[in-house]
Amino acid sequence: MRSVRLMFAIYLVLIVAGLAYAIALGILEH
Amino acid sequence: MLRFVRDNGLSLAFGAVFLATLVGQAISGADTFNHAQALHNGDPISFGHYVTSALFWADVMENWQSEYLQFTLYIFATIWLIQKGSNESKKPGRAGRESAEQQLLGEHASPDSPRWAGVGGWRTALYSNSLLMVMGAIWIASWLAQSLAGRIVYNADQLDHQAPTVSWPTYVTTSDFWNRTLQNWQSEFLAVGSMVILSVYLRQRGSPESKPVGAPHSETASSG
Repeated sequence: MRSVRLMFAIYLVLIVAGLAYAIALGILEH
Repeated sequence: MLRFVRDNGLSLAFGAVFLATLVGQAISGADTFNHAQALHNGDPISFGHYVTSALFWADVMENWQSEYLQFTLYIFATIWLIQKGSNESKKPGRAGRESAEQQLLGEHASPDSPRWAGVGGWRTALYSNSLLMVMGAIWIASWLAQSLAGRIVYNADQLDHQAPTVSWPTYVTTSDFWNRTLQNWQSEFLAVGSMVILSVYLRQRGSPESKPVGAPHSETASSG
């Protein structure tokens, strides 16, 4: 299950990173 | 390494296809933008500039939000709604949140249940809805991101045509925002509805998304 936990973490990190970048870009780029 | 690949085949395959298509979207998107720039005697932008710009991210977030809405809504709707004969539905009579016994909660949790399923109180309540909450949060965040990045793209276009720019609250009432949103939603809902009803009469041997090939049409929720 350790490798499955790793995949779970990779997906969440990827999604949160994408969302955070897009939101920051949307707020900062005027 | 081989074990890692075997144990995570589905998530690895979809993760790889996701990254490949994202790169494809970036390359074709940059080319489309530069083609439009050339037609309007504008300056081209570099690939690096394009993939870090609101132009690219508005498009990415627009599609993300509709996918996460689709799954969020489907997880929620399937708690309460039934489709007789569908593999994508619960069995008739099990509509609702189900009993603690059926959901292996509290005293009904088994030794290998997740700890928060057994402890009771707010932790069990939170964990009992964690999938819906996380998928819903990703949907809301990506829709917000779409609106923020979409507004920048919209305003850039307005400025190009000597038209006034709009604030974020105004942008979310524009037809541009709702057209970008609804054109994605409609296709998601059709696809989900199709999956629900087509799985009543059609089969795919070996797929858990289908009933077993020989399962009767009237049988509901019987993954193959």
